[in-house]
Amino acid sequence: MEPLKKRMEVKKITKTFFGKKGYFTAIEEVSLDVYDGEFLVILGPGRCGKTVLLNIMSGLEEPTSGSVFYNGEEWKGLNPEIGMVFQKLALMPFKTVMENVELGLKFGGMDKGKRRELARYYIELVGLAGFENYYPKQLSGGMQQRVGIARAYAVNPKLLIMDEPFGKLDAQTRYQMQEDLLKIWEKERRTVIFVTNNIEEACYLGDRIILLSDCPAKVKEVYPMDLPRPRDMVSKEFLHLRTMISDNTDLSI
Amino acid sequence: MERMNGEPKALRNVLYWGLPVLAIGLIAIGWIAFSGSNPDLMPSPAAVWSRFIKTFTKPIAKTTLIGHAWASLKRVLLALMAAWAFGISFGILIGWNKKARAFFGSIFEVIRPIPPIAWIPIIIMWFGIGEFPKILLVFIGTFVPLVINTSTGIEMVDRINIQVGQIFGGNSSQILKDIVIPTALPSIFAGIRTSVSSGWTTVLAAEMLGANAGLGSLVTRGWQGSDLSLVMVAVITIAVIGALLSVILQKLEKVVCPWNH
Ligand SMILES: Nc1ncnc2c1ncn2[C@@H]1O[C@H](COP(=O)(O)OP(=O)(O)OP(=O)(O)O)[C@@H](O)[C@H]1O
Ligand SMILES: [Mg+2]
Repeated sequence: MEPLKKRMEVKKITKTFFGKKGYFTAIEEVSLDVYDGEFLVILGPGRCGKTVLLNIMSGLEEPTSGSVFYNGEEWKGLNPEIGMVFQKLALMPFKTVMENVELGLKFGGMDKGKRRELARYYIELVGLAGFENYYPKQLSGGMQQRVGIARAYAVNPKLLIMDEPFGKLDAQTRYQMQEDLLKIWEKERRTVIFVTNNIEEACYLGDRIILLSDCPAKVKEVYPMDLPRPRDMVSKEFLHLRTMISDNTDLSI
Repeated sequence: MERMNGEPKALRNVLYWGLPVLAIGLIAIGWIAFSGSNPDLMPSPAAVWSRFIKTFTKPIAKTTLIGHAWASLKRVLLALMAAWAFGISFGILIGWNKKARAFFGSIFEVIRPIPPIAWIPIIIMWFGIGEFPKILLVFIGTFVPLVINTSTGIEMVDRINIQVGQIFGGNSSQILKDIVIPTALPSIFAGIRTSVSSGWTTVLAAEMLGANAGLGSLVTRGWQGSDLSLVMVAVITIAVIGALLSVILQKLEKVVCPWNH
């Protein structure tokens, strides 16, 4: 079932921050593989270094030691094939939904007519048709998340990193967004790395789950998830997996 | 702090219209009372009004009040345009480029606390009292707040916004133009607002020290000729124009930063 081509390999990444009051190791010797086309979930407790790890994978930050391989070759610096949905959203408040979504296309030099059309397609895909000319402030939290997702999808990344995209949503909206995300993913299939601190969400979405330990983050366990989709969150198998992972996690997440 | 729904809407409207009118009314009453008991210290509103009319029938230095107001405004606007162009660009430069900041930043820290009118003696010594030194003085007075507001605004742009630009493939100038400058726009605009009010006060100070046209020169002329009514006419005109400028700026900000409203 699982495609075997490795899109990315993270090898023994360590990140230490050196500050005035000494140093702090956020992640330690993390190694993991990302397979082509999979929906990989990284599950870890809060403040355990998940965002730092993602920033290293996308090339925004440099590791203290270790390396990132992309398509079999060592990669340093920003990787243009990676798209990202930011944890803090970071939508541009001065840009409309349309302008936010077409940001990457504009930077890529695509002409206006073409990028409008493409952006409109992704705005529709995330269910925001009709809101093209709204500013982020005028939208609800869930809708803002959708803008962030459309913005990342629009540049057609080979690898899409999503950093706790639903972290701040209420449960109801969260379930809805999870379902919608899977629909979008099935329609526009690409490799996804999805970070969360919510076990249920991880079990519902992931093809595989990589469980990180508490500070400093290390890979604690890798769980393949063989349950067919759509998954029933109250089925026996689901609950069993959920309990198993939950018993193995540090602290309560 | 404020009880938004405390009072019925109609009453609130009356209050928010009524209170400013009440305040102005009180000032007018105070003015009438004060001028009535101290006619040497303060001309009555009626005297000021007739002096106001006279500025049109009997121009001062061959110029009506409108001409004087325009003379002051022209100086401010010329200086402001130059200051906006140079101040904002310079602010962007030292906000964005660390080396430029390291170099110019310290110079700026030294210049920054000097009030613009403190430059008057030097500027008069160097350039006399023509048009150019006045415009230059206003330029200096407005350039500084513009640079400071702009560069702080640029520096304060959250790192994550720049990371978004990087992830979406922007090069440095695209990130600056499409992300950083618009993010800093509200604070650039704060600089513009400060520049207008400080420019307006600086031009009047400059004119008071020597000019044959301009509202500042009217103040000096009235003062030296013991024509207090003329001083009052000039002062009120200064206040009205200052208020108009700030209203125009508020409207402009709504046009330039529509997402904030
Ligand atoms: N630039 C930095 N300098 C110093 N410390 C940092 C820096 N970036 C992150 N850290 C620290 O590294 C730790 C991990 O941060 P990170 O944001 O990666 O955690 P996280 O798992 O994403 O947390 P959350 O669940 O809140 O998103 C935190 O304690 C944070 O303070
Ligand atoms: Mg994080």
